[in-house]
Amino acid sequence: MAKRSVSVTTQTPTATADTTALADATYPFLVQGGSGTQRVNIMEVYLGGQAGASTPTIMVLARDTTVAATNSNGAGQNDAPLDASTAALAAPPLTGNTNTTKPQRSATQKLLNLSFNAFGGIVRWVAAPGEEISIIGNTQPLGEVSLSAFTGGTPGALGAHLIYEPF
Amino acid sequence: MALFSKRSLEGWLLIDHTAAPGMPLETARNTGAMPVSRGMKFECATLTCSHCQQVLILNPDRTRERGYCPKCDHYVCDACEGIRVQSGGDCKTFKQIMDEVETSVLKKSLII
Repeated sequence: MAKRSVSVTTQTPTATADTTALADATYPFLVQGGSGTQRVNIMEVYLGGQAGASTPTIMVLARDTTVAATNSNGAGQNDAPLDASTAALAAPPLTGNTNTTKPQRSATQKLLNLSFNAFGGIVRWVAAPGEEISIIGNTQPLGEVSLSAFTGGTPGALGAHLIYEPF
Repeated sequence: MALFSKRSLEGWLLIDHTAAPGMPLETARNTGAMPVSRGMKFECATLTCSHCQQVLILNPDRTRERGYCPKCDHYVCDACEGIRVQSGGDCKTFKQIMDEVETSVLKKSLII
């Protein structure tokens, strides 16, 4: 299939506890399988700080125990293929941060801690080929992953992207 | 013939605070964040646990044995290593779990 990138140009996330509904536009994005059997591989996550003062930001990539419904992209959010000639998928994965049923981060299935200081800090994770983080289907707990701010810091403005590949 | 090395399974994590005030030690201690201080750049290899897919930051100072599953020939996280040892060496990779989820969904869709 084709690699895609979901990105947010600028956003100040809201620190949210585990198993608590992530309110609209308070987290960079989620990725959910486009069908009950779709596989998605996550191969890169990048966060760049844009804050104007020191803001330790505790960002977590985690599986969700409640998956989002009626999902759409929020302000400043994009989802685009990396290859210009990518054909449209019949069942594309869902990305976004605005939804009717709000996602909830799992308390036990956190996959990556991407904490940094958003006052000029950068954090980037790249998977080795074959060792990507996977999503299967579109139901909890394996069908959705979200990038969101965990409690304990003072989240600052940031831009982010996540590169993924649906199959 | 190319030799397989487990180093080829390593991902890469960068936390760059060269132009940032860094992560306060107390915040790092309370949240599990990497305590990368002001003006520092932290780069390290990461491993993806073969059994649960949690991404592990490799601590170069670790002296304890790292969890390893000989059945899938992958490193595993400490939690999965505990389960593996307790179960007498059972191996269930995340890829197997994904196959099971896929199969169960497909089977349900075939029931009329």
